[in-house]
Amino acid sequence: MGARIEHPTLYGEGAAGPALYGARCAACGRVSFPRQSFGCEGCGAYGEAMAPVELAARGTLLSFAFVRKHMGADIAAPFAIGEIRLDDGPVIRCTLADALDERALHAGQRVSGVLAHNPKSGADVLELRFAPEGR
Amino acid sequence: MARALSSFRPVFVAGVGLHPYRKYSPTPYVALGLAAVREALTDAGARWGDIESAYVASALLGMAPGRPMLRHLGASGLSITHVENASASGSSAFRLAALEVASGQSDLVVAIGVDKPAMVELGARQAVLDLLERDRVSAFTHFALLAQRYADAYGATPEDFARVAAKNLANGARNPYAQRREPRSVADIVAAAPLAGFLTSPQSCPVGEGAAAAILASEDGLKRLQFERKRTVRVLSSASRSERLYDDEGGFDAALTEETVRDALADAGVSPGALDVVELHDAFSVEELLYTERMGLCDPGDAPRRLKAGHFDIGGEVAVSASGGLIAMGHPLGPTGLGQIAEITRQLRGEAEGRQHPDAKTGLAHMVGLGAVCVAHVLQRDAE
Ligand SMILES: [Zn+2]
Repeated sequence: MGARIEHPTLYGEGAAGPALYGARCAACGRVSFPRQSFGCEGCGAYGEAMAPVELAARGTLLSFAFVRKHMGADIAAPFAIGEIRLDDGPVIRCTLADALDERALHAGQRVSGVLAHNPKSGADVLELRFAPEGR
Repeated sequence: MARALSSFRPVFVAGVGLHPYRKYSPTPYVALGLAAVREALTDAGARWGDIESAYVASALLGMAPGRPMLRHLGASGLSITHVENASASGSSAFRLAALEVASGQSDLVVAIGVDKPAMVELGARQAVLDLLERDRVSAFTHFALLAQRYADAYGATPEDFARVAAKNLANGARNPYAQRREPRSVADIVAAAPLAGFLTSPQSCPVGEGAAAAILASEDGLKRLQFERKRTVRVLSSASRSERLYDDEGGFDAALTEETVRDALADAGVSPGALDVVELHDAFSVEELLYTERMGLCDPGDAPRRLKAGHFDIGGEVAVSASGGLIAMGHPLGPTGLGQIAEITRQLRGEAEGRQHPDAKTGLAHMVGLGAVCVAHVLQRDAE
C-alpha cells in the first residue's frame, strides 16, 4: 500500500510531480486555489463554471518566515513557511522542507513541491513541502 | 448617488470613556462595560435617559451581551444593536452610531465596545474548505512574511521593526488605560522571545479585557447637554471597505488600508500631512511601517528613518499611536476601535494628560479586521 496524503482534497501526485487542486473560472479565466465551486472571487461565476484544474507545484518564492513558536502537535518549531507565486497563477503559503538554512532562502528564488514524510502524523503520511530547486 | 458623511448634518463626539485594558480577570464583562459607559456619560454631561440608541461591539462574548449590561443603567427602552466585525467591531459600532446621528434619526447615540478573552469559532473555518497550512500560519507568521518582504524591499533591520514597539510601549507607559505600561529598549525588544521571522513577542499586541465608549451627538444633542463648545470634536468622515483582489495578493492589509484611508481623508477634505494624531492597527510592529507609508504620512520605505528621527513621536510631526497603540494599550477586540476614538478625542481637546501632542487639531482612527475589513474615521477639533 502507498502512503496516505495528508490533505487529499488539496494536493496529490500529478502526472509530472506533485500537483495542487485548483479551479479555473470559465467566465473570466481566473485560476484559484483551493478548488471550490461556490463562486469565483474575480467575477462571481459559480458551479460548473469553476472547472477543476491541477496546478503544478512549482513557482517563485515571494517571502518566507521561520516560525519559532507553534502550539500544534502537527510539526515542531522551528519550521519555515514560504509564500509562493505558483507558475499557474495563485499565491499560496506552504511549509518549506525541513532543515533549510535561513541564509539559503531569498525572494525571487525558484521553488518546487515534494511530497515528504511527516513523522509527526505517522511515518506513512505524506505532506506537501516546497524547497529551492536544484538544492 | 452615494453621499459622504459630511453631506449630512454634523456629528460630534460629546463624551468618551474607558475601562483600562488588562489581562483576563474574573470581573464580569458587565462591570467593564458599565464603567466605560458611565465615564462617557460623565464626560458628556449626559444622563442615561438622554441616550436614544446604543451600538454594542464585541467579538468574543457570544450572542446579545448588550441588554444584560445596559439594563443596569436603567431599562430605558432605547434601541440596542450588536456589532461584530472582528478587530474592527468597535470602529464599525462608532460608524453606525455616527450615521444614525447624521441621518437625523437620533440626537444622542452611544457606541460601546466590551470584550473578555475567549476562544470562538471563526466564521472562515465554517465557511469552506480545507486551506493549506491554516494552522501553521498564525497571525504573527502572516505579518512575519510581510516583514520579510519589507526588509527585502527597503533593507529594514530587526531594529527598525523593534523601534515601533519601543515607541508605542513608551507611549503606553504614559497612558493609565494601557495594558502594557513598561517601556522597553530596542535592543531588549530585538532579543525578546521570538515568534516568527523578525517578530518578537513585544512586537505583538496583547489580547486582554476592557471596554470603551463614545457618545455621539447632533447639534441639537449638544444643546440638550449644554455641552461646552470648545470641547467639541467633529466626526468629519467615515469610511469602510473590505478586501478585493489586488495584484499583490499577500499585501492585502496595506492595499486595503491605502484605499480606505484615502476615502476617509477625501471625504473629510484633509490631506495626510494635515493629520496631527493617528491611531492605527499596529497589532504587529511591521503594520505601523506599512500603514504610515500607505496612508501617505511618508514615502514608501521611509517609515523606519522617520520613526528613528522621532517624526511619529508625541511632539513629532504626527503622533502615531499616542495611546500606545494595540501593542501597548492592548487589543481586547470589541473595545479597540472605540479606544482609538477616546484617545483621539482627548488629544484634540487637549485633555490627554501626560501624553498630549501639542496643538492637535485633526486625527485619524484606522482599524483592520479579520476578513479583511478596514474602517477609518477622521475627527477634528471644532473650529467654531
Ligand atoms: Zn471568474
